[in-house]
Amino acid sequence: MSAYTPRPEDFAPLGAQDAAPVLVRPSLSYWADARARLLRNPRAVGSLALLALLGLFTTVGPLFWTVDPSTQNLDRISEPPNLSAEALLIDRGQRWPGVEAEGWPSAPDPAWLASPTRTALDAPEGLSVVGTPHTWSVRLRWSPVENAAGYQIYRNRYRPTALNELGLPLGDRWSGAEVSYEDALALEPGVYWYSVTATDGLRESPHFQTLRVEVERALPLNAARKAGLLAPGDGEPGQRLSLPAHPLGTDYLGRDMLSRLMHGARTSLFIGLLAPLLYVLFGTAYGAAAGFFGGRADAVLMRLADFVVALPFLLFMILFRVASGVEAGESGITAILVAMVLLLWPATARLVRGQILQIREEGYVQAARLLGAPQRYLIFRHMIPNTLGVILVTLTFAIPTAIFTEAFLSFIGMGVAPPTPSWGSMCFEGLKSMLNSPHELFFPALMISLTVLAFNLLGDGLRDALDARMRARE
Amino acid sequence: MMRLGPAGRRIALLLGCLLATATPWAGAAENAVDFEDRVIRMVLPQEPPQLDSSKATDQVSTRVLGHVMEALTRFDGQGRLVPGVAERWEIRRDGATFWLREDARWSDGSPVTAADFVFSWRHAVDPKTASEYAFILQGIENAEEISQGEAQITSLGVSAPEPRRLEVRFSRALAYFDKLVAFATFYPLKESFYRARDGRYGADAEDMLFNGPFVIERWDHGARLEMAKNPHYWDRDNIYLNRIEFPYITADTNAALNLFKDNRIILAGLDSETMENALDQRWRIERFNDGSAWYIEFNHREGRLTQNWHLRRALALSFDTYEFINRVIGTPGNLPGLSLYPSYLQGAKQRLLQEIPPPEPVTDWTLARSHLEKAMAELGLTEPPELVLLTGNSPTANKQAEFLQTLWKDALGLTVRIDRQIFKQRLAKMTAGDFDLVAAGWGPDYLDPLTFGDLFASWNLNNRGRYANPALDACVRDAQNSVDPEARVRAFGCIQRILLDDHAIIPTYERGQIYVIHPAVKGAIRRQTSPDPDLARAWLEQP
Repeated sequence: MSAYTPRPEDFAPLGAQDAAPVLVRPSLSYWADARARLLRNPRAVGSLALLALLGLFTTVGPLFWTVDPSTQNLDRISEPPNLSAEALLIDRGQRWPGVEAEGWPSAPDPAWLASPTRTALDAPEGLSVVGTPHTWSVRLRWSPVENAAGYQIYRNRYRPTALNELGLPLGDRWSGAEVSYEDALALEPGVYWYSVTATDGLRESPHFQTLRVEVERALPLNAARKAGLLAPGDGEPGQRLSLPAHPLGTDYLGRDMLSRLMHGARTSLFIGLLAPLLYVLFGTAYGAAAGFFGGRADAVLMRLADFVVALPFLLFMILFRVASGVEAGESGITAILVAMVLLLWPATARLVRGQILQIREEGYVQAARLLGAPQRYLIFRHMIPNTLGVILVTLTFAIPTAIFTEAFLSFIGMGVAPPTPSWGSMCFEGLKSMLNSPHELFFPALMISLTVLAFNLLGDGLRDALDARMRARE
Repeated sequence: MMRLGPAGRRIALLLGCLLATATPWAGAAENAVDFEDRVIRMVLPQEPPQLDSSKATDQVSTRVLGHVMEALTRFDGQGRLVPGVAERWEIRRDGATFWLREDARWSDGSPVTAADFVFSWRHAVDPKTASEYAFILQGIENAEEISQGEAQITSLGVSAPEPRRLEVRFSRALAYFDKLVAFATFYPLKESFYRARDGRYGADAEDMLFNGPFVIERWDHGARLEMAKNPHYWDRDNIYLNRIEFPYITADTNAALNLFKDNRIILAGLDSETMENALDQRWRIERFNDGSAWYIEFNHREGRLTQNWHLRRALALSFDTYEFINRVIGTPGNLPGLSLYPSYLQGAKQRLLQEIPPPEPVTDWTLARSHLEKAMAELGLTEPPELVLLTGNSPTANKQAEFLQTLWKDALGLTVRIDRQIFKQRLAKMTAGDFDLVAAGWGPDYLDPLTFGDLFASWNLNNRGRYANPALDACVRDAQNSVDPEARVRAFGCIQRILLDDHAIIPTYERGQIYVIHPAVKGAIRRQTSPDPDLARAWLEQP
């Protein structure tokens, strides 16, 4: 074993030193950590992206898709989603006077009618279309039938093979000489099968004549000019004009669904964001005050909160609407907002009060108090930061509830006034024609579902991210 | 009279789904048609409140009563007036005489006598009965005075000098009295039976006496109503069916359609939604004109903007009835609104509207705008006014109101607020005059143009816009007091001209309905007045 021989330098003073080498990982503040964990949660990130898209859809969308949401177009009612359409320009001149068979009797021969052996009338021959059949009118004519007292005109989407398949009874003619009919009833582009039967005034003949008609979309010149699709004086009957596309289809009055969804989002999100923000804020302040002061003040404040919880929401909502003097036909949005703020805060207040009561008894708060910290310091340094997580989560869960409430109230007709759209009222209208044009219900329902889902997932992610206890697991 | 509800289609959809799934178990063995026992089954839209004919006001009560009671006259399947209890009759300027048939019997076998009519009519005008339809007897001597409590009930101008002769005295001419007496309020009531029931008459099946083709055999309130053929009915040989049953009571059209699909009922109404469904099922779709005329009524009260003729004309000129029926309503059977009178009404020789053709409606937005400017100048407005449109809460009413709102915004720059109300509330607001425009409809009580013609007389309480025009009142009086058919047609023409020229209303459409019916059922009658649908003389044909 060799002995170490101390050198004189070993006994020199050490002098100033650099900081000790850092052995811990960098200090991570609560918020930075929460953010990092939120961003590591794919569902939360996805929902954030969805919400950003939704924000863009509502704010920037109308700048690009400039179709007016309340312009109705009766040519294009309940159209499914489409990207292009073309119409034949027509001139809507005089009403068609129809065709009358000259010299033909209008009623059957009474002797024939009285005979017990009379046979069923023949089917009208020569059923044909006059002019071009288009969505504004299909003009039919046929040859008169002997002993006819009138005719019945039917229309169907498929070829009828039996009497019960003739389809919609469009109209009738009450004279054997009136041998034409003009159909304009809710025509859509496509194929129709028209049938005509004769009647002797008492009984309709079972024989019918059928004609296949291909109907083309048409647009009257003056309507095209009115809609700004043609410059005044431009265009001629017979030309074809391409029409604006409706990427999400149209509703029951021919209004553009995409545009209505964008504008409807404003109403839904306005209520959906503002109302929860206001009542969560109020609830927080209220609950914090109750929890912080405790004792008698707490008891009184919380009994009041219990009282408000007991009020039936829908009933009070309606009462507010009536009492606030919302006239029929005016928007009830402000009334909804006020009612939600006044009635929905107690849940937040209770939650926050509980948190504050708990934090108040924590060691660090006691210590701060012993050191003579003022109340303001206690509130802003300890209480609020420690309840913020709870508050944020409450807020994200309150937003979907609020959107649903608005949708529901608009659905039962207590919300927005027509023609202002909202997702809820659009669902309500769409529900009526769910079977025939499902897109009218599907898109607004999808928007509500997506928004609510996004906020719920975000709330979930936030709760995980803001929970200090989950921090320890990593 | 029958102020019409909002198409009777207030569909509680959820409820509908529940009912639709629940009903198949309710009557598992009962098919819509029973060929062997000659039974048909149908749905009633609602429970009849009661079945005392002197008090009946709603369409359901009058529909049931129409099968079990018979008036002096009735309408057949072609809409012609035919003898009922009365064998023949005579209408004079100052009164009428009805000769009753010998074999008319009550369901207890006793004869129907003229005294039964006297009692019933006296009972209806009695202020103690408080019948809402007491006014329909006006025109019979002293009827008005009695219902106001100013005269004795026995002073009513109706008497039974012989058991089978009924004499009526008029206070004004009633040219259409033979059509009027087909109405439910004029059904007979047997006094001894009525008194014996001590106020319970019409409350239950055993509290009624019948003189019509059927009797009510079973009435489970709110659940079921069954009618059986009346063995004492004079025309029983022409009644084919043995029973008409109503095993379901629901107003839900979707539920009714599902019942029809399941072969539980023989008839179901269709709307624009269920129409497509029916086409896919390859059912034969029928169509009929339900008799009602629809229009937009203006508020003519003092201080309302709609008092201004130019404003009314501007609104009327921007409206196109053809576009409205073809593209907004979109179901077959609706006719353009050209006049106050529906097209089926009969005039002196032909249909009324052939004799007094209404002008073809004009749609001209440029002209409309110039009238709006004149209106604004007269009213001292600088910008187009805001108007309130009162409407019903059915989907159809809502769609129509939204269409009008945008139409007038586009055409005139007018702002229209839509006031959507349930039927009762809408009626209350109409009576109070709390509207500028209201979408209203009117169904006929009797098949005479007067049921529409007197609607806008200044004294008519159903004139909710309080339109008052002495010239129109004079024409209405002419139509009321005259018995000459030609003169009456002229008076109706005068009423039509004044209303249209003055734009007191904007006629919108004449309502048609579509329905599906079991193919084996023949002779079912749809008509404009109650009872509708009428199955009393229907028969079955095996397919």
